[in-house]
Amino acid sequence: MEAQLESRWMPEIREVNLSYLMLAQSMVRSDKARAMFCLGVSEEVADILADLGPGQLLKIASGNMLMCRFRFDDEMVWSLLSEHGRRSPQGLDANAARLHASIVMAGNFVEAV
Amino acid sequence: MAARSLLSENRQIQRAIELINLGARLQVLESETDLPYERLLRLYKEVAGRSPSKGQLPFSTDWFMTWQPNIHASLFLNIYEYLQKSTDIESIDAIAKAWRLYRDEVSAHGVEPLLSVTRAWRMVKFVDSGMLCLTQCKRCGGQFVTHTYELDRDFTCGLCEPPARAGKALRVGTIH
Repeated sequence: MEAQLESRWMPEIREVNLSYLMLAQSMVRSDKARAMFCLGVSEEVADILADLGPGQLLKIASGNMLMCRFRFDDEMVWSLLSEHGRRSPQGLDANAARLHASIVMAGNFVEAV
Repeated sequence: MAARSLLSENRQIQRAIELINLGARLQVLESETDLPYERLLRLYKEVAGRSPSKGQLPFSTDWFMTWQPNIHASLFLNIYEYLQKSTDIESIDAIAKAWRLYRDEVSAHGVEPLLSVTRAWRMVKFVDSGMLCLTQCKRCGGQFVTHTYELDRDFTCGLCEPPARAGKALRVGTIH
């Protein structure tokens, strides 16, 4: 049973990897600077992504490890993001926490460069 | 004088068109391209379909310190700084790209872009001349736009400690 479950994730992981790599590649090819910010990757990685052929993409996508991972492991960002559904009195979605998260994430990223 | 390079002129026109499309004022174009004023004026009318607005550009740094504008300005400046540090694109192109990213980000959360591309450009000039900078909030660790010589060790941002009336006006398109 356990083995069955585990092997069930493999095709799904491969699927996600492939979609992710294809999306990332077409983003980098159309606007590298923008893509680097949206994906959170360095220029070196962006250049490599842009040059990968379809066969290489397929090869990289297979396996049981996800190619993408969370771009923050900051409790602050998580708590800001999960506040998203909170509603302010008149039924409007509170957006301050979400923008706060965007600023912290963009800033972390600047520091990492 | 050497003949003007056609390629460079073409690039400048492309850049001007992009900036006009983003809503930049004529003063931005004058400062960021070498194109003669008359050509810029014609280009502006053709692209925007109207005459450019007249009058001075906002010159005060105080606007960036008020609650809502500071959130917008900080988001933009973080994105801009990232693009500047991690790519080798020119400053004005980084401003245009960062402004698009900023606009898309706030729109995704139902907020209208309060910071115009002209203001964003102006802010980058203020940062370059050392009047404004990014300061880290001691509570959330985010980087926020502040005056340069403020005491920054104990800085807390307007989102961690909103002023009493901040965000109380629940107008659509604002931050609350």
